[in-house]
Amino acid sequence: MEPSTTLAFVGLADVVIGLSLGSRLFLIAVGLSLIFGVLGVLNFAHGAFYMIGAYVALTVTNQLIDNFWIAVVAGALAVGLIGVLIEVGTIRPLYERAEGELDQLIVTFGFVLVIHEAVRFVWGSQPYSMDAPASLAFSVSIAGSTFSAYRLFVIGAAFVVMAGLWLFVTKTYFGSLVRGTSSDREMASMLGVDVPRLYTAVFFLGSFLAGLGGALSAPLQSTSPALGDQVIIDAFIIVVIGGLGSMFGAFVGAMLVGLMQAIGPQFIAAGHIAIPFVAMVIVLLLRPEGLFGGIGE
Amino acid sequence: MIEEPGTIQNNENAACGSAGSGVDRRSFLKATGAGLAATGLAGCLGDDDGGGLTLGAVYIFSGFASLYGDEAERGYELAVEEINEDGGIDGEDVEVIARDTEGDADTAIRQMTSLIEEEGVDGLFGLDSSGVAQAMAPQVAEQQVPLMVTHAATPFLTSPEGEHDNSVGNEWVFRNCNSLSIDMYGAAQVAAELDAEEWATIGPDYAFGYETWDYFQAYLEGLGADVEFTDEQYPGLETSDYTPYISAIIDAEPDGVITPLWGADLTTFLGQADEAGWFDAIEYTLFSVGMGTDLPADGSPLPEGQHASTRYDPFVPETEENETFRETYYEEYDTLPTYNAEGAYRALYLYREAVEEAGSTDHDEVREAFTGMEHSGPVGEYHFDEETNQAVVPAIWGTVSQDEEWESNVLDPVEVYDVDADELDELLADSELPSGV
Repeated sequence: MEPSTTLAFVGLADVVIGLSLGSRLFLIAVGLSLIFGVLGVLNFAHGAFYMIGAYVALTVTNQLIDNFWIAVVAGALAVGLIGVLIEVGTIRPLYERAEGELDQLIVTFGFVLVIHEAVRFVWGSQPYSMDAPASLAFSVSIAGSTFSAYRLFVIGAAFVVMAGLWLFVTKTYFGSLVRGTSSDREMASMLGVDVPRLYTAVFFLGSFLAGLGGALSAPLQSTSPALGDQVIIDAFIIVVIGGLGSMFGAFVGAMLVGLMQAIGPQFIAAGHIAIPFVAMVIVLLLRPEGLFGGIGE
Repeated sequence: MIEEPGTIQNNENAACGSAGSGVDRRSFLKATGAGLAATGLAGCLGDDDGGGLTLGAVYIFSGFASLYGDEAERGYELAVEEINEDGGIDGEDVEVIARDTEGDADTAIRQMTSLIEEEGVDGLFGLDSSGVAQAMAPQVAEQQVPLMVTHAATPFLTSPEGEHDNSVGNEWVFRNCNSLSIDMYGAAQVAAELDAEEWATIGPDYAFGYETWDYFQAYLEGLGADVEFTDEQYPGLETSDYTPYISAIIDAEPDGVITPLWGADLTTFLGQADEAGWFDAIEYTLFSVGMGTDLPADGSPLPEGQHASTRYDPFVPETEENETFRETYYEEYDTLPTYNAEGAYRALYLYREAVEEAGSTDHDEVREAFTGMEHSGPVGEYHFDEETNQAVVPAIWGTVSQDEEWESNVLDPVEVYDVDADELDELLADSELPSGV
């Protein structure tokens, strides 16, 4: 790969890598933000959901059906269904509790531990890898730099998901119900909205997106039981920077964190991992609601 | 986690459920098959009166580096089989109780304590991670149990306590393989011979990564090489995407890179480096743990033509002892022995020699027998430095090649760098680093 010169110290390759990291993080962060924005649930298990998406996808391609696209859909759907089971079975009974938020946090953290051990039991501790689909197994040359087509595809997928979610939330009837319910749950309920069902649907959607993120990321990284812990921290940083509950904030936050992760090593050999944390602290100090704070956007 | 039995003894441990967060499928099946009938309470009570020699093996059997534990297990099981078939030690069997450190210092210390207090082991061997080894060293001294380290490489483990702020060496800790210090002496010799002026590193973000780079630079400077040191990258252990670090190194355009990435991290890195065009952009990559584990096996991602080191080479030295070990091992496991297998294998023979020389399994007498011991194994003839307890063995570096006969990656050509403690000390004189030998 030839170094390029789009910026003084940062090459085009670094920007593309940053966007691809950001795209994967967006898919997990937006689901986390959506669930919090509508349900008020801070889902600690969201990183574990992402990890399951990756494991299911690579199991489908490596052991069941050698079809990448089916594997991605299977990964996303499996996680969506797991999310529904968890929401209906364990989180729904806690909505009305006085200390419900704390209880939800403890329950979802419990699921992190359960899922982690379950993954170790089913797949073991060894990392796995998965091939990109044959149709995208080629390289693209842009301005002297070479990129894998799959990496560019994932960036495109994040933009498509962002646009789709925006249209879904702002232009559809279901979207208006979601926005209305997130603003005033009691009013929505009095107006005849089936709030429990809506909550479950939103939890499904958020979980589905985490699974989709994990499945799409599987060919770009190794999948091991450590994966969930790695991404959930990034996802929390992103939603704090972007603003809890803001989809657009999640998008911008994810891309910023992705770029920080890609460009950080160029400047600081050790300790660059702290850069996104520093950014989060600065945002919290200057703009506690996040860059695009606004519940139910 | 309760792990692989060298003999039936492990099953007693499993029955007690004394220390475990989980049992992997392989361990379970093996333990079950090995001898359900032997399950009893003796192990629970710490019964150590069965005679013979009981050793505790502490390796990483799960997680990103579990392949090292697997390799070690093959080595010590082969030695157990050979020694017991050969009449054991003074007519009594040797047995091994294995425990998983999970690469974590707290877990390792917990397992070590359990092995000593519940199982009453006569000695310990193993350890893959330098960080874990450094945490364990003071503990074994406190417990006064000999520990033969067969893999963990930090020089501070055998640098006597007080020599440097990080030194933890003591009279109970021995190491039978070469250390990071000796390995980097070899790396510097290789680098000095190459037409590379700028060097960079990418290593794991803990002591092992930093020490590798420090010693590499110190030895090159000691050798008077006219080189510059440019970029350094330290991704965390179990990083799933190395792309930003790979990109940073490629952008820095060094002529050569030394990497001590290891275990599954190395495998993950290699795939992503290849995708990013690393091997077109970087002329020389030195893999200091490259020939360490399953990488020499068929289908290894370690590219041919690159430089790699090993702490034991199945073809070096060309002695009857090494040839016999290599062929016995190949017959048993259908693959060439790696250094972790050889190190664990040799640890058993070292204990046999020490116990026979001491005429006892008394911890103190075994420790004294190890001190300054001269030994011969597949790795060749060597002795333990009396001051550091470090085996004085050569550094081995070579070029990765595919061998048709063995259907495996091997080092060919391979170079052996013999070195003694004085020479290492002299080369490091301008640095604050101890040679650890």
